[in-house]
Amino acid sequence: MDRLVYIIFNIIGTLFRFLPFPHRTGLIKIGSPREESPVFLTGNYYLTVLRVKNALQGLDVYLLVANSHGINVWCAAKGGHFTDYAVLSAIKTSGIERLVKHRKVILPQLAAAGIRADFVKKKSGWRVLWGPVYTKDISLYIEKNFKKSSEMRRVQFPFSARLEMAVAWAFPVSAVAAFLAILFWRDEWISLVMSVWGSALLVFLTFPLFLPLLQTEGTRSGFRTSCFSRLFYPLILYFCVFVGLLLYCVLSEHLDGSYLLPWGVVLLVLVLLLTLDIKGSTPLLKSETHEEKRYKVILEKEKCKGVGFCEDVCPQNCFIMEKTEKKISFPGLDRCVRCGACIVQCPFDALFFQDKAGSKIPPENIRKYKLNLAGKRTVKIF
Amino acid sequence: MSVYIFMRIFERKPAQYDGWIRIFTRGKLDVAHEYLVSRLKKGDLVLDIGCGTGALSLRAAKKGARVKAIDINPAALEVARSRADRENLSHLVEWLGMSAVELDKEKTSAFDAVMSSLCFSELNQDELMFTLSETARILKSGGLLLVCDEIRPQKLVLRTLNGLLRGILKIVVLMFTGLTTKAIVDLPGKIESVGLAVEYISVNKMGNFMQIVARKPF
Repeated sequence: MDRLVYIIFNIIGTLFRFLPFPHRTGLIKIGSPREESPVFLTGNYYLTVLRVKNALQGLDVYLLVANSHGINVWCAAKGGHFTDYAVLSAIKTSGIERLVKHRKVILPQLAAAGIRADFVKKKSGWRVLWGPVYTKDISLYIEKNFKKSSEMRRVQFPFSARLEMAVAWAFPVSAVAAFLAILFWRDEWISLVMSVWGSALLVFLTFPLFLPLLQTEGTRSGFRTSCFSRLFYPLILYFCVFVGLLLYCVLSEHLDGSYLLPWGVVLLVLVLLLTLDIKGSTPLLKSETHEEKRYKVILEKEKCKGVGFCEDVCPQNCFIMEKTEKKISFPGLDRCVRCGACIVQCPFDALFFQDKAGSKIPPENIRKYKLNLAGKRTVKIF
Repeated sequence: MSVYIFMRIFERKPAQYDGWIRIFTRGKLDVAHEYLVSRLKKGDLVLDIGCGTGALSLRAAKKGARVKAIDINPAALEVARSRADRENLSHLVEWLGMSAVELDKEKTSAFDAVMSSLCFSELNQDELMFTLSETARILKSGGLLLVCDEIRPQKLVLRTLNGLLRGILKIVVLMFTGLTTKAIVDLPGKIESVGLAVEYISVNKMGNFMQIVARKPF
């Protein structure tokens, strides 16, 4: 029965993935936790809480749900919705301080883009441990005595996540399309809904094929990258979709212009809509519409004291600790998704954003405003 | 009208926040602020919880009160700071990036008054109760709690009407900002429960906006 409810909530949550659904904040006891049991904390996006609770089944732990305004952990942290104060509030107002003896709280690693561990420590005395990215790794993380492997740190875009994105995209768009079709194009509404779902599935499920071509920043010039992502990528996809349309026409024997033309246009619009911000729709690439894409993370090695917080929070394993030197090196710049987590966590300001012209964003600004870069996370599509 | 939820949209542009709120509330928030501030005396030490762009704090400072104004929105605080400079009130107001849940760091019996405008409706239940009980602790004996905020109407008819209107506005606001506020349920009861004595309550005709004054007993 619980399983069924879990599945139903997951489906509903996925269909409306892009809307914020807040879960009640506060303390949740899982199993029968004691004074020394670990304390986990997460944001209050409904689906997140549901999945974390599910992953913690069978353990005896406390789960704090902090206010991230009903938005998932990573987006909320980067956008300044899941803040230090939310964590502080959860620790202080939930009564957890009376229930456990230790002062350690495990936060999802992706929250590191918005929550300063040193701030939480200073204000509340609680030490923040950055847990694994995915809930599936939690029990292994506990078994390994709260140590993460590099695999546990890495954000991926597996089949299940891509399917989720396709569904999350297709459902609201097909609902709008169906509504418009029933008003203006009644005969074709089912075909329209199906083509929305079909093209969304095509784009997200074939994404790994195009990833190496989209992921070229750093090594090649930005012009070629954007040429590919803006022009060739939609064209290739459109070509596939159009071949599908032609095949369908031939098989169903109404191959004529009056059928081909409107559908050709509809599919073009769909492909363009889907690829408009394909990079931003994935956790592996930086959105083209965000201001911070103009910036690169720069490491000032002289300031590094080798504490390795950046290595611990980087979702792309961009950093490597050089054992002999006890300093960090940054070989993974090409993979960097500019989440800002390393900048927020570095206690020595050794990491910062810098654009091509050489102008820096002080790390303090990122800590204050997160990726809003002082309130300027403008949408610039072209 | 239940337009106070719109503050979530205006908050995004702190510099224009007060202008927009004034238009949408038809100046009623100013009237409420004026009443709250009228209860302060010159030289009082006042805490403003959730000062935002500083409308209430500056009004209190004009009255001669010394204000400690706290908020967690750094952009709003910057607007408040520059406004205080313009009005030559900087020496009376201390602007701090601080959350209501940090009030446990304040000294007991330190303030003559604690005030808050449209901030309690942004807190959740745990946070609100924490803030109120800390307020009761940090107030001097005889000190005042001054609040104006959005509440859930008591009468069933008004509550239903307000709920419907608010529901529609909530969807609009959610779409723009992904954020919302919560109308407070039984604010006087909550204030009484932390040991403060409610002295004055004024509710608007729609029953969804309350000014309340409570005193810490001697």
